Amino acid sequence: MDPLILSFAVVNGVLLGGIYGGVALGLSLIFGVLRVVNFAHGSFLMLSLYIAFWCWSLLGLDPYLSVIVTVPAMFALGYFVQSVIISPLIRRERALVVEPLSALLLTAGVFLVLDNLALMAFGPNVRAVQADYYLPSPMLGSIPLNPQRLIGALAAVLVALGLSWWLRRSHMGRAIRATAQNRDAAALSGINVPFVYAVTFGIGCAVLGLFGSLIAPFMPISPSIGVAFGIKSFIVVVLGGLGSIPGCIVGGMVIGVFEAVASQHITATSAAIGSLGLFILILLVRPQGIMGRA
Amino acid sequence: MNTRSITAPQRSVAGLPMGALAAGLGFGCVALIPLLMDDPFLIHSLIMVLFFAYMASAWNFLCGYVGQLSLGHAMFSGVGGYVSVLMFTQLGLSPWIGMLFGGLLAAALSVLIGYPTFRLKGPYFTLTTIAFAEIVRIWVENTNDFIGVPLKGAEGLVVPAAGDSLWAFQFSSKTPYFYIILVMLVLVMLATRLMERSKLGYCLKAVRGDRDAAEALGINPTPSTLTALAISAFMTALGGSFYAQFFRYINPERNMGLELSIDMAVMTIIGGQGTVAGPLLGALILTPISEMARGHLGGGLPGLHLVVYGLVLMACVLYFPKGAIAPLGRLVRRLTDRRGSRP
Amino acid sequence: MTTPILEVRGISKRFGGVQAVKDLSFTVGKGEILGLLGPNGAGKTTAFNMIAGFLRPDAGTVLLDGINIAGKRPWDVCKAGIARTFQLSKPFGDLNVIENLMVGGFCRTSDRGKIRERAEWMADFLGMGRQREAEANNLTAFDRRKLELGRALCTEPRLLLMDEVVAGATPSEASEMVELVRRIRGMGISVLIVEHVMKVIMSLSDRVVVLDYGELIADGEPQRVVAEPRVLKAYFGERYVQSRA
Repeated sequence: MDPLILSFAVVNGVLLGGIYGGVALGLSLIFGVLRVVNFAHGSFLMLSLYIAFWCWSLLGLDPYLSVIVTVPAMFALGYFVQSVIISPLIRRERALVVEPLSALLLTAGVFLVLDNLALMAFGPNVRAVQADYYLPSPMLGSIPLNPQRLIGALAAVLVALGLSWWLRRSHMGRAIRATAQNRDAAALSGINVPFVYAVTFGIGCAVLGLFGSLIAPFMPISPSIGVAFGIKSFIVVVLGGLGSIPGCIVGGMVIGVFEAVASQHITATSAAIGSLGLFILILLVRPQGIMGRA
Repeated sequence: MNTRSITAPQRSVAGLPMGALAAGLGFGCVALIPLLMDDPFLIHSLIMVLFFAYMASAWNFLCGYVGQLSLGHAMFSGVGGYVSVLMFTQLGLSPWIGMLFGGLLAAALSVLIGYPTFRLKGPYFTLTTIAFAEIVRIWVENTNDFIGVPLKGAEGLVVPAAGDSLWAFQFSSKTPYFYIILVMLVLVMLATRLMERSKLGYCLKAVRGDRDAAEALGINPTPSTLTALAISAFMTALGGSFYAQFFRYINPERNMGLELSIDMAVMTIIGGQGTVAGPLLGALILTPISEMARGHLGGGLPGLHLVVYGLVLMACVLYFPKGAIAPLGRLVRRLTDRRGSRP
Repeated sequence: MTTPILEVRGISKRFGGVQAVKDLSFTVGKGEILGLLGPNGAGKTTAFNMIAGFLRPDAGTVLLDGINIAGKRPWDVCKAGIARTFQLSKPFGDLNVIENLMVGGFCRTSDRGKIRERAEWMADFLGMGRQREAEANNLTAFDRRKLELGRALCTEPRLLLMDEVVAGATPSEASEMVELVRRIRGMGISVLIVEHVMKVIMSLSDRVVVLDYGELIADGEPQRVVAEPRVLKAYFGERYVQSRA
């Protein structure tokens, strides 16, 4: 295996992996705080991709600029979904033993609705954003770096750092962390728990909004893209550790590199099976992932 | 999840248990339909309802009672279908026999997968079942040939026509299929009823209720859950074989895909998991919606039936966690309390 | 002297840096009610879980009527003849009272009719005869405790382990529970009870053993043990102990 080709694969795998990590951040955050496995995670990404696309195709807005639309729009959607659909469940479960399966089923319902409404509204055709300008590829030594992926990966790292910092330093961030650790104690300390939940869900979706805009320049857009990214996000989050933000980025990069290197040696199918197999193995052997706490 | 106590003395009419009488009457009437109405479209629709009721019941046999959500059951249906079709085309074996082999293989596979997976809780279990099923589906979808056996990947397998032959499990009219799936459904529901009242049923319900408490009462969760899983997988595989013979075609997406797994689970949950009639009820509610959305709206809105599924699922989780059978059961009891005789 | 029903010999358990139980030995005689006392963190629950099979002892043996059951899984311990209740009751929520009680019976026989009869009898024994069809989730906390006790009894144990059964109970409920335990002993079942409520321990136990920091510090009749300086020191601290002449 030519070392240049291998290093090219690894480097671009790291970049793409960073993007996977960024996409998975919302999932990890939502699970860490609400203990809800958001089955509809991929669907939200799919929606933000479409928003970015329509911004470009109808308003002539460059996908990177469409961030100003996607982020608030997705935050609002996430906030709405949590406060209207999911919170009745959490309120009901308080009295009895918490049943995480109900949350999974509920978000599965959201997934079915969103993905298929998109299918009905937009049709199954694949669309793509055509960039009308050219970004130069910076070089890492003798390896060309894909500029769009580089932007995405850098954004992922920045968002992860920023989010971690914000969670630790800001008042809202502290409230979120407190609620994540002990919902009842947080409520007793004066924290408006439903509001915290809604904000957290909103942030999780807003991050997806950001990344939707960032990957729109190079990702084919169709209703089924949600499922693919959803599955990938789950693998990343489990690998990196559910609830761990740095774990997401690390997990994402591991998957990215694994896929890039594997696809040089084995078919894409086998690589997909390999990722799934890795996912199962982690769950069975080390469920807290690389960096998670159990 | 039982909405009426299964240990209470049964209400009886003329000395026969009322529930069984009603069921017998119901199925008897259904069995008469093909003889009274000669509409192939109606028969086809009924077959689909019965098929999904059967599959949901097979899923419910394990998941409804042990309280775990498997979204990978479709892989057993796929194994069943593929084994029976391949045994017919490659070895000339009757699909009836192929079905049994498929069932046994599915049962073995389920135990292999179930043994490590049952340790996982809640969503982790579900995600793992999805991963296993997807691995199987992706592998079959991308494999044309496996040690000489033609799997034909995404293209799927066509069952060669053999005319009207009981041996080859093929009939020119839809009616025989109707009766076959009806019998299969009755058998599954009977098996569920028997299990419910048996030691296995109590073990499963105890493990579902509280694993530690169950262990302290002498129950080793592993043999019970694996037994139920194997039986459930076996029955699911048989359903897959039936499907293959009815449509004379199977492919990975339809027979092993996530959509089928979701169908089985959602129908059971909406009807009422952990009950004998719940899956049937769920299929009765959802299959017509699905057929209507697929057919009558001119096919111009692909995915509409799934939107409806999703909405119904959400409504069910929020407002009817025990499924539609809970309010229905209460209604039936209120009606029979006033009229029926109680021992 | 007849073999004690339970003989714990030198069991120990370490969790990381903490020695929760150290070289603990005691016996429970046939038909005896033994109280297991000790301040919080003394290792009572750890010892309890080791006997019940939920924890594996690092060392030592647990002899039930002469047979070592240390390290056996909980279901095997149950089949051998030890039943237990849980500190936080764990009812099978969506089953009703009778169904809950029936679960235990299946470990002894597969005859559904007999199991049901026994469950009905047990419901009456617990004073829950009128709540047979009630769903366990809808029971009061104390009723759930009783249900838990009944469930354990349906496995036909020779030794019953009870973990703080009167926590949070009103005085009349506590009396009811004490009466139940006496009747259980009357059926020939030996009892090992962990409890904090002094009144219950004093009136019920034939004998008590006291743990502190994982070690046995007293073993004997309740009235005598409770006044021992070492025990008082463990519960109240050195300052409050005055030696008695």
